[in-house]
Amino acid sequence: MSGFLDGIRCGDCDCNVDWGERRNTIASIAAGVLFFTGWWIIIDAAVMYPLEEDFHRAYHTCGVIATVAFLMINAVSNGQVRGDSYSEGCMGQTGARVWLFIGFMLAFGSLIASMWILFGGFVVPGKPHTYPGIAIFFQNAFIFFGGLVFKFGRTEDLWQ
Amino acid sequence: MAGIKALVGLSFSGAIGLTFLLLGCALEQYGVYWPLFVLIFYVLSPIPTFISRRLSDSTESSSACRELAYFITTGIVVSAFGLPIILARKSTIQWGACGLVMTGNAVIFLTILGFFVVFGSGDDFSWEQW
Repeated sequence: MSGFLDGIRCGDCDCNVDWGERRNTIASIAAGVLFFTGWWIIIDAAVMYPLEEDFHRAYHTCGVIATVAFLMINAVSNGQVRGDSYSEGCMGQTGARVWLFIGFMLAFGSLIASMWILFGGFVVPGKPHTYPGIAIFFQNAFIFFGGLVFKFGRTEDLWQ
Repeated sequence: MAGIKALVGLSFSGAIGLTFLLLGCALEQYGVYWPLFVLIFYVLSPIPTFISRRLSDSTESSSACRELAYFITTGIVVSAFGLPIILARKSTIQWGACGLVMTGNAVIFLTILGFFVVFGSGDDFSWEQW
């Protein structure tokens, strides 16, 4: 009985690490929750409203572009954009900046498009069910904020 | 010896989690077996972390690969909770079954986390630790 707690390590490794080192982990988990909640919201709307006139299938494009933007934004590190990372990457610093620029434009664009879809496609025409429009808006908002948290919530100082 | 006790404790909690999942399917008032699809998410959830540990030193405190693995693992966990909710909203399963499945999810994911905490953070990540 004397050594039976020795194998349990939670007391001496992770819990004593200060907030700074856990920051990246917490940001990754928060970004994951936001991003995937966004997608499950739209899956729910698509399942609840299978008819085309309630939920036009082309509106899914907005969330897909938002996901592409998320991947683009997080594909380049801040170090590559500043130019102070060791490897140049295949496009160099300017290429990284252009890539990030396009990624952010797609992200903002899909967020604006989701608001446009909500108001122009559901609220103004007076559709009987506005839930799909709200779901599209929340999907894109969650994906957008998930992308921001994943990009800016992590610090690259902790990487080696 | 300590490893064996932790292993037995974790397998007990895993069995309890799976019991909740099966109760959500097999009780007389429920009777449909759609919630068993969350088993896919249970199996997938440790894989990104395994891959990231294999690709880099396990002694590294933080890396882009590890954080991507946490991101994807969080997605798999969220999906395991989202699927029963959507099934219940569509009335494919009842809300009581949804509650049981989500309880089972929580227990199973805590068990998997327990495995990583107890057995996963050795100096060399090998299966011969105990």
